Amino acid sequence: MGTSAIVMLLIGVVVVYGSLTAAVVNYIRASRKDVS
Amino acid sequence: MTGSAVAADGRERWGSKVGFMLAAAGSAVGLGNIWRFPAVTYENGGGAFIIPYLVALVTAALPILMLEYGLGHRYRAGAPFTFRQIRRRWEWLGWWQTAVSFLVVTYYVTILGWCLSYMVYSFGTQWGDDPAGFFIGSFLGTSADGDPSGFWQFGGLQLKVLLAVAIAWLLVYAILMRRVSKGIELAAKVFMPLLVVLLLIIVIRGITLPGAAVGLDVLFTPDFAALGNPAVWIAAYGQVFFSTSIAFGTMIAYSSYLQRKTDLTNSAAVVGLSNSGFEILAAVGVFSVLGFLANASGAQVTDVVESGVGLAFIAFPAIINELPGLNSLFGVLFFGALFIAGITSAVSILEPGIAAVREKFSLSRPAAVTILTGLAALISLLYVSKGGLFYLDTADRFLNNFGLVLCGLGEIVLVGWVARALNGMQTHLNATSYFKAGWWWKGSLLIITPLLLGSMTVYNLYTELTTRYEDYPLSGLIVIGWGAVVLSLAVAVLMQAVRKSHQIPSEG
Repeated sequence: MGTSAIVMLLIGVVVVYGSLTAAVVNYIRASRKDVS
Repeated sequence: MTGSAVAADGRERWGSKVGFMLAAAGSAVGLGNIWRFPAVTYENGGGAFIIPYLVALVTAALPILMLEYGLGHRYRAGAPFTFRQIRRRWEWLGWWQTAVSFLVVTYYVTILGWCLSYMVYSFGTQWGDDPAGFFIGSFLGTSADGDPSGFWQFGGLQLKVLLAVAIAWLLVYAILMRRVSKGIELAAKVFMPLLVVLLLIIVIRGITLPGAAVGLDVLFTPDFAALGNPAVWIAAYGQVFFSTSIAFGTMIAYSSYLQRKTDLTNSAAVVGLSNSGFEILAAVGVFSVLGFLANASGAQVTDVVESGVGLAFIAFPAIINELPGLNSLFGVLFFGALFIAGITSAVSILEPGIAAVREKFSLSRPAAVTILTGLAALISLLYVSKGGLFYLDTADRFLNNFGLVLCGLGEIVLVGWVARALNGMQTHLNATSYFKAGWWWKGSLLIITPLLLGSMTVYNLYTELTTRYEDYPLSGLIVIGWGAVVLSLAVAVLMQAVRKSHQIPSEG
């Protein structure tokens, strides 16, 4: 794979999965507050 | 986290918030993630497409998802009664969404039947050395061997397809009959983790095959010049729009079953991003194995790229034939993954109709499920005929391009511009949510999304009027394509005219 292809793949993966992880963490935190 | 399956007001409820999110993600993740996104990316600038795709995700998919979650959660109804509560005269728009999704599910479940058949055919790769000939000829028995001249040769029913489609319908019926918590939610809790595991197996197998790197290079090498082409941006908005179950009425119905205290914006973010994460992973898997196919057959990757039905039922069997080992197992896993991705979506596409019909006519769930599933199954016989492939392809194109897009546009125009209800929705969303729907949310819905959906409609209309899709006869495009759109609109107008008191029947 060329460097530019790897960079674009990484951008997509990091942005999408990074945001997804952040959203899931937020969700879990909010749920814990709910319970307490 | 968990709650009763039926609320005090008699409306069904999700058993848990996680169950709702899995069901909503199961709705969004469907066949299009696997067979549409990879080809759209490849055709629209490769790796550079990631940029408009992410912009579209943030300015269209997530804002509309949040809006639909807010609508269902606030008004506690399916799409027709939700829009009726906003503006009495706009009930028809909800019925249009419902009618379009109902017509979509009639062919969607047919494709699930094909997936079931191909799981069986995977044992011993029964499609032989000519997967295209097998699919078009032996399996579907398509009139005139798939030549458009055979469009109107109905040719009777293809019995081997009929059996598989009947099984798929029975499964959809069984899930919907078991109600929201024990049916849709339970199915999502079982199927979604299984789907992720299956996809991971396919991707890992794909990227370890010879030629995989070449396939991924072809997919992700960016062509930044493409970003100057408006058609690429329209394609990006089209992809996020079609792949997130927006404007089907699904998300409105699903969020109407939520408990009062639910983080709506965060749920929308998790669902929308899960959908994107899934399709990026699927694209890696699909182009890895396409790279392998090109390598094995001595062709260029660009020569073997396929999308849609052609990718799943012609290219993949060819790929499975070339695998060095465990061919049958890979086939079962791939078609199993397609089936699972599709079944949760199919259920979600029919649920808005069930919710709407129950509210309009005060029907019990079993009655509504039986009537709608039975009617949809009857209509799906059209796609089991020997001209079925033509009818399916035509209906899919027109219902998506002119039904769904206009339904989505109508929804935003109603809430944002006609009723000017976005401020109220913003307050509602932010009252229970961790991160707030801010100026970007309103700006996206008021300006960016309507402009893009309007441009898509003009572009689609221009394309339709200047070229004849797939060289199908004009009569076929008018009767099946435009006919499906007009039929859905006629049903919507008729339902608006029917005067019935809206009541949500008790589940007691």
